[in-house]
Amino acid sequence: MSENAEFSPRIAAFLCNWCSYGAADLAGVSRLQYPPNIQVIRIPCTGRMSPKFILAAFRKGVDGVWVSG
Amino acid sequence: MADIAGDEGDFTVKVVTHPRYVDTSKCIACGACTPKCPAKVSNDYNEGLDKRKAIYVRYAQAVPLKYGIDPAKCIKLTKGKCGNCEKQCPTGAVNYEDTETTRDIQVGSVIISAGFKPFDPSAYVQYSYSKYKNVVTALEMERILAASGPWMGHLVRPSDEKEPKKIAWLQCVGSRDVNTCDHPYCSSVCCMYAIKEAAIAKEHSHSGLDAAIFFMDMRTFGKDFEKYYEKAKTSGVRFIRSRIHTITEQPDKSLMIEYATEDGQAKTEVFDMVVLSHGLEVAKSSIELANKLGIELKSTQFVKTTSFAPVSSNRPGVYVCGALAGPKDIPLSVVEASAAACAAAGKLSSARGTLAQTKEVPQAVDVRGEVPKVGVFVCSCGINIASMVDVKAVVDYAKTLPFVEFVENNLFSCSQDTQDKMAQTIKEKGLNRVVVAACTPRTHEPLFQETLQAAGLNKYLFDMANIRNQDSWVHAAEPEKATEKAKDLVRMAVAKVALLQPLNEVKLSVNPAAMVIGGGVAGMNAALELAGQGFTTHLVERDAQLGGNARLLRITAQGEEVQPYLDGLAKKVMDNPLITTHLATSLKDVEGFVGNFKTTLAGPAGETVVEHGGAIIAIGGQEYQPSEYMYGQDPRVMTHLQIDAAMMNGELDAKKVNSAVFIQCVGSREPERPYCSKVCCTHSVESALHLKEHNPDCQVVIIYRDMRTFAERELLYKEARAKGVLFVRYDVNQKPVVKKDGDKLTVTVRDHILGRDLLIDADLVGLASAIVSHKNTELAQMFKVPLDEDGWFLEAHQKLRPVDFATDGVFMAGLAHYPKPLEEAVAQALAAVSRAVTVLSSAEMSLSGTVAFIDQRKCVGCGVCWTVCPYQAITQDDKGLAVVNEALCKGCGTCVASCRSGAPNLRGFTTQDVMAQIEAML
Repeated sequence: MSENAEFSPRIAAFLCNWCSYGAADLAGVSRLQYPPNIQVIRIPCTGRMSPKFILAAFRKGVDGVWVSG
Repeated sequence: MADIAGDEGDFTVKVVTHPRYVDTSKCIACGACTPKCPAKVSNDYNEGLDKRKAIYVRYAQAVPLKYGIDPAKCIKLTKGKCGNCEKQCPTGAVNYEDTETTRDIQVGSVIISAGFKPFDPSAYVQYSYSKYKNVVTALEMERILAASGPWMGHLVRPSDEKEPKKIAWLQCVGSRDVNTCDHPYCSSVCCMYAIKEAAIAKEHSHSGLDAAIFFMDMRTFGKDFEKYYEKAKTSGVRFIRSRIHTITEQPDKSLMIEYATEDGQAKTEVFDMVVLSHGLEVAKSSIELANKLGIELKSTQFVKTTSFAPVSSNRPGVYVCGALAGPKDIPLSVVEASAAACAAAGKLSSARGTLAQTKEVPQAVDVRGEVPKVGVFVCSCGINIASMVDVKAVVDYAKTLPFVEFVENNLFSCSQDTQDKMAQTIKEKGLNRVVVAACTPRTHEPLFQETLQAAGLNKYLFDMANIRNQDSWVHAAEPEKATEKAKDLVRMAVAKVALLQPLNEVKLSVNPAAMVIGGGVAGMNAALELAGQGFTTHLVERDAQLGGNARLLRITAQGEEVQPYLDGLAKKVMDNPLITTHLATSLKDVEGFVGNFKTTLAGPAGETVVEHGGAIIAIGGQEYQPSEYMYGQDPRVMTHLQIDAAMMNGELDAKKVNSAVFIQCVGSREPERPYCSKVCCTHSVESALHLKEHNPDCQVVIIYRDMRTFAERELLYKEARAKGVLFVRYDVNQKPVVKKDGDKLTVTVRDHILGRDLLIDADLVGLASAIVSHKNTELAQMFKVPLDEDGWFLEAHQKLRPVDFATDGVFMAGLAHYPKPLEEAVAQALAAVSRAVTVLSSAEMSLSGTVAFIDQRKCVGCGVCWTVCPYQAITQDDKGLAVVNEALCKGCGTCVASCRSGAPNLRGFTTQDVMAQIEAML
């Protein structure tokens, strides 16, 4: 396999407790399968989302940040 | 419910529980049973468009999330063979011997909300619903468009599962039709849901879907509905005014529709799919139940209620809500639900709280200053986690993390014995922070928090790692990676929990008094219900007398006379010792918040200050004063309310009117007022019928844009047509013209069928004048509640919280919310009381610990946080700095994100907490 094919982006997901985090739970109940290279941080509302969190995640080395709410 | 015996205040209700064959106290909803079930059956939740198993959960969001067996389809129950699910179940929840149980429940009131049944269009031969695969019902379309539907929300048609390029919606299937289904009423909701489906289908389409809605009258009469309709037109949804009589299938399974245009031309068009907008009807089982219980039904089979008691059945103590008592949408059903709760609780209020038990919670130990000692409990969830995630490896890993004192694996962390053991361990090991790595905090956080409390720990010293729903269940094919992810999740949770601090749940006292602003029908009903439930109530009315707009109303849509009712209502209010009426009074200032308001009233006797715990805003609306159609220039041109008043006081003698013309949408559905006033079509029909009744030879013409006699008001429209009232539709671009020719008053209107102008002589021109808001920004600001752009008070959620504001302790009812008929205003008043009582009935309120706080050393008083706070929870103190009112804060954290200097922070989700999770992420 080429180096490119092995690239698996590491994604930080900031999900609103009331909608997207619940949806991620439902994906589990429905046994929908997706790649494991995504880490979820539950926030109480996307209003809580600070640009600092996005920068911190990139600084930490993630390749993508997903904010959903 | 099988039967009700007894009388109001002392009913015995017989309740039958059907066997479920799964013990809900044991089922953990792991889903292990389903894959091994060999029976594949039609999935009724998805309207039969896909398959499910015989052991199943009806839908993913089901509450409680517990499985059940379909006894008609289960092989074990029908043939005695199989038994796979019992073998698979890790908790022994399956019980094939389960039986029906019957029990009696003693209650004081009963609420019936049996809902409706969607009309089955198989009966319509011309639509060939059962013959053509691509003719679907609107409910099937809902499932096709749903993410949890048969095709995961992908827009496909059933015959070939390919994306349709053209879809037609056909309105009034099973509604406004006496020929095929004997449903003369309008189902009230179909116009809106068809527009919604068309809009969503367009969003889901990859090829710019061509959506066409075939309709008779577009009935978008609710709050913001007209705007939605206009938006759909702009986005390209086609609206074609024609009722469809024939559908023919083409060789490629597409469907040809034949229809007639308004000017009588025959047309054909081919669509890939046809959606039947089927109406609402009462289920046969509901009719049987009503007959058995002695509950009166109307000719339409919906439960009979009156406009003045819209949620009361004829049987005292038995209440109804929702579509069982007439076709209606979600917001009104939710309003009625709260109203029925109010009515049902009203007479039982003396017994309030007598069956409640209080839970004893031990005093939490003070852990501040202690070094974190974290306990990690890793759950196997039977095999739900353990079969995919190497639980032992996660346990070993957790032991290496900083501050972790104790780690343990449990088979089922949520079982009662594990909970007891966990509490014991917390105490024995002196743990002061706890992480449970298991399912989701959304369902299980409260349970584990109780365990912490039982162990004497503050419940906020807790976090969960979601290694089931968001790990083992979704990465089943990659167990190694799932194990690594579980470790990551545990590491992040431990990093966060070590920083968490114990939080206080502040308790607030509640003043059990209410204020109702507005003394119209809504306000008076609210005040009477509040007083009936034992609460001191202040009713504030701007005018010198009670009654509001209803003083000018003649009858309701059901034909009840308004004035005698209103007089009785006002008398009851004045006589009630718990109600203080403040007439000719308005509000000057409001201080405080939920539970403790302090309101300054300005009245004839000067200013007074009233303290109260909650408020209901019911300030009504007003009639639009037209500038069009010669209004004000000729006394024969009158508005609705003027006609009603003149009919009541005898100034207008219906016997002497020989020709009357009513013009609809005067001031409504116009660019400056882009909403429908909801009541005017029915009002004109009522007046027309009154004229016809007193002078059958009177020529009555109603000039309209869409006749919006929604729900059972359609019967009045039908009656008016039968009695010879003429209905002429006009186009908004070609409005009728009212002229005075000598002494004669004439109305000219373009007839769209004839394509010619009609000239009508009129003795009376009735203007269906809009209802406009008071746009009372002052009052809105005093209570810190919003108005929408048309000046109506804006509810917290249009569908789910229709009488609440986002601000706690303040509620709304009546026209102040949006134009509505009298019975809806009464229902809203009761609903607002029900909601207010949730606050007023508790001596004190416990507030959440996860609220924002301000570090005033960093605050510069710039005002960004109190501008962005959606709950008006932040104010300025006397130093000009921000301060959080914990009673109003909902813990969203928007203030924290908005502040440039980092002064606000959110307890439980501090910047440090989230940063710790990010730091521990990789």
